Amino acid sequence: MSAAPLMRHRWLLYELTRRELANRYAGSVSGLAWTFVQPIAQLAIYAFVFSQIFRAGVPAHYPGVTYTAFVAVALWPWIMFSEGAQRGMAAVSGNAGLIRKVALPAELLVYSTVIACYAIQLAGFVIVLTVLLAFGENIHVAGLPRALLLLVPYLLFATGVGLVLAALQTFLKDVEHGVGIVLNIVFYATPILYPLTLVPEAWRGALAMSPLAYFSERMRQVLLAGAPLEAGDALAALGCLAIFAAGLWMFRRLAPYFEDFL
Amino acid sequence: MTDSLVSLAGITKDYPKVATGGDRLRTLVSLMLRRGEFPHFRALDSIDLEVRRGESVALVGENGAGKSTLLKIIAGVARPTAGSVAVRGRVSALLELGSGFHPEYTGRENIYLSSAVMGLTHRETRAKVASIVEFADIGAHIDEPIKHYSSGMVVRLGFAVATALAPDLLITDEVLAVGDESFQKKCIQWLERYLDGGGTLLLCSHSMFHVQTLCSKAMWIHHGRARLFGESFDVTREYLTYHEEKRRAEATPAPALGGNMPRIVSAWTERADGTRAETFRQGEELVLQGIAYEPDDRSPVLLFGVVRADGTAVYGSPSNESGFVPAPVGERRFSFAIRFAAIALLPGKYTMRVHALDPEGLRLFDTVESEFVVTGETRDFGLVKLDHRWTEGGTTR
Repeated sequence: MSAAPLMRHRWLLYELTRRELANRYAGSVSGLAWTFVQPIAQLAIYAFVFSQIFRAGVPAHYPGVTYTAFVAVALWPWIMFSEGAQRGMAAVSGNAGLIRKVALPAELLVYSTVIACYAIQLAGFVIVLTVLLAFGENIHVAGLPRALLLLVPYLLFATGVGLVLAALQTFLKDVEHGVGIVLNIVFYATPILYPLTLVPEAWRGALAMSPLAYFSERMRQVLLAGAPLEAGDALAALGCLAIFAAGLWMFRRLAPYFEDFL
Repeated sequence: MTDSLVSLAGITKDYPKVATGGDRLRTLVSLMLRRGEFPHFRALDSIDLEVRRGESVALVGENGAGKSTLLKIIAGVARPTAGSVAVRGRVSALLELGSGFHPEYTGRENIYLSSAVMGLTHRETRAKVASIVEFADIGAHIDEPIKHYSSGMVVRLGFAVATALAPDLLITDEVLAVGDESFQKKCIQWLERYLDGGGTLLLCSHSMFHVQTLCSKAMWIHHGRARLFGESFDVTREYLTYHEEKRRAEATPAPALGGNMPRIVSAWTERADGTRAETFRQGEELVLQGIAYEPDDRSPVLLFGVVRADGTAVYGSPSNESGFVPAPVGERRFSFAIRFAAIALLPGKYTMRVHALDPEGLRLFDTVESEFVVTGETRDFGLVKLDHRWTEGGTTR
């Protein structure tokens, strides 16, 4: 597994990402605004339904935060992942014209798409954190650099998943339909609307193995309780790297045949 | 310098058959497991090719012969199933229309994208944009999405980008055919200068004129195999001869009987008393007699038309319009007659055409012509005598 293509094509990656970002603005009047409105609306719904109707509370070890902040801190990383994976999945078939006529490493298309998703949602995340802070929520600003650092392996994880899905999607159009359902299930199986401690003992161990659950919990610990980085983070990063490497391996194995199928 | 820029050995390309979901799944699994078996068809079969620096090579062949696939393999877009590809130097490839342009992005954005594919930095590209835009000469469209371009404009931009990057090897796939006359001239001039300056060209074209003027060598690809490689004049001559022969073979009439298409076996004109004739007086009765053939022994639909000698259509009508069904006379043969009680045609030379259609009357298969002359003395003019009468006018104003 070499990184050489990435170095040689870094300008192409830059160009593709820039294009991907620019494209989000183009075409619609409010452009980028929609990418923020949607998650904020989602947050408002969850906050209302779960804190007002279900009376969900915040665990005692996160003092000074409301349920809204509790969900928001985990929701945005989830959106980064799910949007990155879904858009990454469409990156190959959506750029069929390019792949069929230009010799370029196809994985760059997935990279640029996932990176663009992360960049946009990260901006949204920072805005939301600022707003929460302004409303007097106990957000640990000092934890922000650590949170950003945690998002790096998380990005690798999303890219790995995106690569696998993009490769499969090129061969089997069914994949995209299935992925929507699976992501919905995974969303509720990940401690975003609830803390991991609420999960029954029997399942908690298994759930903690999920990178999504792990990072969800860690983002809260770092941003809401100011927790330091720990050894487990390095382990999780290695795991994410392994998933990325496996995704890239599979993608590269199938990439020479994309042109035949698109 | 005779170093080789492209060397292909035993290039074979199989395209998987992916019509059904099952085929796709099977192919996916066998690709993952590195097993070579999946349903496929062979687009290229053991092609060897060597292109040295400064050479210009053309690929000729019929549609679907595998020329574009070969160019794709050399450009690195497609990977061969077997064989080895070695390509050196900076390659610029124009594969088909809209080569590598993203339809949603503007022309200018696509210039940056294509340049980045070639390894240029953003800054390096910026220095070249002005000259690319000038060469493409598509005016203000450069800032519009490519999807709104005409095919000619796409090719202009594609050619402008490909050439601006000063490639060692330029690959173009039938793009010269699209631009307008003046742009074609501009491209050919550019290509000639490029070749004079030591550039290397790999071209695929159906224009033997382009092949002969631009390329010193040519390869004729026939059904995925290299049929002939040599001096471009020799190859294009052989290729054109092949087409000439093919056309002649198609033009020879089918055997008298049999065949699997409806035909008109014979058709002739005769008088009311049944004697064959080619000359009729104006107003005389004319009968067109004929025998049609239908392979499935079902009554075919027939169509007749009268045309003046100069090609002006006078009148035509299908048999099913009048509800006529030709009667069988022997196996798969049907007789018919069309009676014109008094031909109203003005004196002159005419052709009667009869066509055989399938029994559904949808497809036209055969045409038989029979010439005849109408005589008479009249000062009328036009095509036909229309029934008319001069009378007193009914009005005083």
